[in-house]
Amino acid sequence: MSIIALLIFPGGLFALACGLAYEWVDRKLIARFQNRIGPRWFQPVADTFKLLAKEEVVPAGVNPGLFTWLPVVALAGALTAALYVPMAGLPPAFSFPGDLIVAVYLLSLLTLCTGLAGANTLDRFSIVGAVRTLTQLFSYEAPFMLALLSPAIVAGSWQVSEIIAQTGGQWALITQPVSFVVALIGLMGKLELPPFDAPEAETEIVAGALTEYSGRGYALFRLGRGVELVVGLTLIAALYMGGLANPIDFLIKTLGLLVILALIQTLFARLRIDQTVGLWWRYGALLVLAQLAVIVGARLIV
Amino acid sequence: MNINPEHIWDGALEKLKTWARINSPWAIHYNSGSCNGCDIEILATLTPRYDLERVGVKLQGSPRHADILICTGPVTLQSRERLKRIYEQMPEPKFVVAVGSCAISGGAFQGCYNIVGHVDAVIPVDVYIPGCPPRPEAIIDGVVKLLESLKKTDGRAQSTDDRLQNTDNRSQTADAGQ
Repeated sequence: MSIIALLIFPGGLFALACGLAYEWVDRKLIARFQNRIGPRWFQPVADTFKLLAKEEVVPAGVNPGLFTWLPVVALAGALTAALYVPMAGLPPAFSFPGDLIVAVYLLSLLTLCTGLAGANTLDRFSIVGAVRTLTQLFSYEAPFMLALLSPAIVAGSWQVSEIIAQTGGQWALITQPVSFVVALIGLMGKLELPPFDAPEAETEIVAGALTEYSGRGYALFRLGRGVELVVGLTLIAALYMGGLANPIDFLIKTLGLLVILALIQTLFARLRIDQTVGLWWRYGALLVLAQLAVIVGARLIV
Repeated sequence: MNINPEHIWDGALEKLKTWARINSPWAIHYNSGSCNGCDIEILATLTPRYDLERVGVKLQGSPRHADILICTGPVTLQSRERLKRIYEQMPEPKFVVAVGSCAISGGAFQGCYNIVGHVDAVIPVDVYIPGCPPRPEAIIDGVVKLLESLKKTDGRAQSTDDRLQNTDNRSQTADAGQ
């Protein structure tokens, strides 16, 4: 039973398929907002198979073990995080006290692997991309964790299923709007979506940390990004929008969040890396700390 | 009857690979000394007005991520080595599209002292798109023709060894002609 949960549903194949589907929805929405047609429904599938069938070039001077295994570890981290969140509206496959922190850090594992992969290759663009990736990780991670902490404080538990049960169908984004906004924007920083795609700035540093990756390694990183998108959306929808009761609920809530994400992507230009760090450490952290102060104060008074 | 199980797998797998390669051609653009007219037209092709993302073409920054090299300009002697290096960095299978009269025959710069003239004297070319500059519709037509030819020859236009052979012959005649 647990093997099926791990490999097919809700981890493994289902998470990969969901990742590809959500990547398509994201690209199609952005295209529509930009008044163009956008990709066909099977585009991410074709992209993935094409990359898997391409020759994989291992550049000179890299550590071959790291080069081959970092993409695998990144995808494995993202897929494992899918086991602890209520994917497809069903209760999480595995649940234990503290699994919220484990899920968030498994998602950060993907960003860390991207940074390491960039630092591993000797290309100057990869190294700059890796430095930017890790700088961005350092800047949004704390506010994002704190923003996920506020429903946990209200529920009194670090366990995802406990938090959902304690909200009792009530939408936490009404009572904690500030940390909802910080969590959503934090998810955009985690996924390196515009306006936070300085680590992957095509016009500046070719392709960022993954410049030298081709073929299978690149396909695995892209799949990991897609799974991270689904898992992140599920987590925020579950914590802030009153839990995910059934698959239809899951689809409506996560796609609703994805529409907001696509809108923000099309509206804003790319931020410089120092603007990103400034934004997060000045406004992001302060806003979420203010929200936490309000919550803790309310609990002490009431 | 001796059914070899590998054979059944192989056919379907090859078909899947060809389908994926035809439907997801990622491009990288290189200017080897052009006057930028063709580059502006290529940029126009990639804008929302013509929207090449609906056929799957995405502009990539890194040659390691690209399948198609869109090359403009008569290859100047300075950019000749760079063009070769970018072509070699692309993983197989890869295709080259030469855009504009300069890339095909030297164009307005024919006979100049500092150019090679044809792109296919340096790297093997699959599609030539004439024009000075060609309209975006012509560029799209060329890319679509390249994808159609992939359907017929099952994913590979020509083996790289054959193409590099042709390259050496062309460069010899080009040098002899000058």
